[in-house]
Amino acid sequence: MNRRLWTSLISVVVIVVVALVANIATGNTPILGLDLQGGVSVILAPTEPASGDDLIVIRDLIRSELESRGIAEPDVRVQGDVIVVDLPGVKDQQEALDAVDVSGVVELRPVINFAECQTPDFSPATDLEDLLSPPQGVVPSDVPADSSTVPVDSTAEPAGFRSAAPDPADSVPADSVPAPSDTIAPEVDPTAVPLDETPPVFPGTPGAELLPTRDGQPLCVGPTQGTGEIFVRGSAELTGDSGWGVAVSLRSDGQGTWNNLANQCYNTTPTCPSTQPGVRGQIAIVLDSVIMSAPQVNQPNFTDSVAITGSFSRGEAEDLAAVLNRGAFPVEVEAQEARTVSASAGADSLEAAIIAGLLGVFLVLAFLIAYYRWLALVIVGGLVIWGMMVFSLASLVSGWTNYALSLAGVTGIIVAVGVTVDSYVVFFERIKDELRNGRTIKNAAPRSFKATWRTIWSADLISVIGALILFWLSVGSVRGFALYLGLTTICDLLVCYFFTRPAVLLLARSKLMAKRTRALGIEVAS
Amino acid sequence: MNRPDGVADSGIKRLFRGQTAIDFYGHRRIGLIVAMVVLLVTAGSLSTRGLNLGLDFEGGDAWDVPASETFGVDEAADVLSDNGVSTTGARIQRRSSETADVITIQVEEVDRDVAVSITEGFAVAAGVTADEVSFSFTSSTWGSEITEKALRALIIFLIVVSVFISIRFEWRMAVAALTAMAHDVVVTVGVYSVFAFEVTPATVIAFLTILAYSLYDTIVVFDRVRENEGKYAGVRMPYEDVVNISMNQVLMRSINTSISSILPVISLLLVGSGLLGAVTLREFALALLVGMISGVYSSIFVATPLLATLKSNSGRKSRRDCLVGEDLRAAVIGAGVTGRVVSSASTDDEADEVLAGASSVVQPADRLLNHPPRPRKKKRR
Repeated sequence: MNRRLWTSLISVVVIVVVALVANIATGNTPILGLDLQGGVSVILAPTEPASGDDLIVIRDLIRSELESRGIAEPDVRVQGDVIVVDLPGVKDQQEALDAVDVSGVVELRPVINFAECQTPDFSPATDLEDLLSPPQGVVPSDVPADSSTVPVDSTAEPAGFRSAAPDPADSVPADSVPAPSDTIAPEVDPTAVPLDETPPVFPGTPGAELLPTRDGQPLCVGPTQGTGEIFVRGSAELTGDSGWGVAVSLRSDGQGTWNNLANQCYNTTPTCPSTQPGVRGQIAIVLDSVIMSAPQVNQPNFTDSVAITGSFSRGEAEDLAAVLNRGAFPVEVEAQEARTVSASAGADSLEAAIIAGLLGVFLVLAFLIAYYRWLALVIVGGLVIWGMMVFSLASLVSGWTNYALSLAGVTGIIVAVGVTVDSYVVFFERIKDELRNGRTIKNAAPRSFKATWRTIWSADLISVIGALILFWLSVGSVRGFALYLGLTTICDLLVCYFFTRPAVLLLARSKLMAKRTRALGIEVAS
Repeated sequence: MNRPDGVADSGIKRLFRGQTAIDFYGHRRIGLIVAMVVLLVTAGSLSTRGLNLGLDFEGGDAWDVPASETFGVDEAADVLSDNGVSTTGARIQRRSSETADVITIQVEEVDRDVAVSITEGFAVAAGVTADEVSFSFTSSTWGSEITEKALRALIIFLIVVSVFISIRFEWRMAVAALTAMAHDVVVTVGVYSVFAFEVTPATVIAFLTILAYSLYDTIVVFDRVRENEGKYAGVRMPYEDVVNISMNQVLMRSINTSISSILPVISLLLVGSGLLGAVTLREFALALLVGMISGVYSSIFVATPLLATLKSNSGRKSRRDCLVGEDLRAAVIGAGVTGRVVSSASTDDEADEVLAGASSVVQPADRLLNHPPRPRKKKRR
């Protein structure tokens, strides 16, 4: 019996110490929340229900976006059904917010006549300046442009869509007798997809609005007829045979949507008119209300893939490929919460929490030592073991589960000190009761443990249940709190059974304690 | 110094030795009155003042700017109006700690561009770099989502806990424990409403901590009640007495636990008010402090009297009065052993002496502690 107690005592100490040393040696410390180290934290939530896979796709896209902007070590995590972006120690908060704040959905819209978008505060004079260097040879026809400065078709080939055709058979537009769903997608009604953002909407054409291109020059576009989802995720790549271009694959269920739009533009129907003499209709690729590219359509039907070519520089082509890949954002996300904490405030909070925690533990221990005398040594040992255990588990769990240790978590742990100490108090008070009634300490200790263990696990189990339910059902910082509440409670149970029990029982059996009940802070009525 | 029966003379020593004899059940009306007063104050305050909901629940933009002699509340308002933001709906507060002051500015949602220029405006006005200005925004849907989900979690938690307590103990204990918990939340919400503290997600977490703590504390007390209930099953002790005896026995534990739980929170409070950036920490600690004190109070003065009332109305009727005074004390002292009360008297010699000392007490403690048990009968008479 003694041997088993010693085994339990020694093994728990060894395990905890080894775990702690291993954690420290590998540099594995709890990941600190943004409120403790300063930085930018943004919570993005999908605007409609999204699956876990969708969120992971978005997470990876955001991460690469941030990395491409030169923000070091972006911490982008999926937490439940939201995405949390933590950017510790970011200097330029504004840039970080801009980088993260994307709706991320690429829209495909026909380019229409400028007049459709005429808004009262539109001033052609300023836009004329922009028109001197239009991108990709696209010029709205009814703007009184100085024709000699517009490089249409002469030197630069206008951007255009063609089938990206490794297989010649595919590139012939008429080669396939398209299935009915291929030519016209009945489910896509141009007017049925109204766009409800960005104010300047011309009443004559529902959904028409004036959007800037990347150069700042505005184009008038019709309502959204499709999203980037019609492309195969991540399939956009550079092509370089005759000038830089981008090839992207169509999803089989996206072909109908695409061909519907392409047909309109190729045939220059009123929904996608020719806005410029000698040029077919154009499709605008829009991301976050900015037209990334507006190439003209060179064939009415596409199978499998689309090639966008034109007078691209390599960088432009890369950007467009990135946009198309990113357009594969499966759902739209929106920033729900953003927080910036200056590094100094974060450090202050961490410092305050640590000082408060140490001071609190010190006060509690001082009180308990005064009250329980030698028995309090067990509490000191137990709390040290508990602290090491919580630290190790927090290091591991914050790495695995994406829940950084935030201010709420730290305060939760400080509060947990009280509940942990309660296990000892309940146990020791019971021992005192038994001693008062004349049992020897040797006899009293195991009986007391049996009675108190029941109390402790009942009470702790309620805390664990609460933590589990909160973790399961809540969002944001409440979740992190629940995680650490559950963690500390489980540590309490483990320490109580594997450390406190053997320690007290062994102490009670030792000859040292046999005659010294007073040394335990117990005053037996004589 | 001590009385011949070994009972200490001073109250504190009695407490220390577990010799108190406080008639908690008899004073149940105090708990009831206090609870009613608290409820009324909270309801009155909620209806007139409401809660000071933070940014996260209403949605909007907020800045924390280091204050200085040249940058105060008025200057912050100037920056807002310079950027075309109405200052009527804005909340501008100065939050101070010993080392530094922070001006907190909250407005309803504004455009991102406006927010950027306001951030820069604050930085210029306060003479700091833009990095030292903390900016946050929350969409209003997000705030309501947090609240909604927390509430849903809470309701499910309460149902599960009720089931758990009903299985582990009994349903009356579940009712009593949840009532005590509701009492604690009402107290804390009342404090927040009366003093108009800002309710933030951190506060919600503090509330949840209070719930968990209150339940934990009550369960520890109830476990002793249940244990004693089994112990006295043979002598048909009235439930009120069982509750009173149990309460006196766990009193020292409750006090010790409260002290050791509240000490860290007090240190949070002190350190939080002493250091910059820990202003939220201070408010958090305040909620916890109030909730924990209330939790300890309610498990003694709300949960257990309620339990006794529920039980005494539902079961064994007793014709005699409750134990009070020395009778109660004798029962408290005598019952502090494990196992059934009836066996302890005959097996444990030393305990016998203690009990013999207390045998100046007449019926019924005397009877139940010193006489061999009456054999249990299958049917009640």
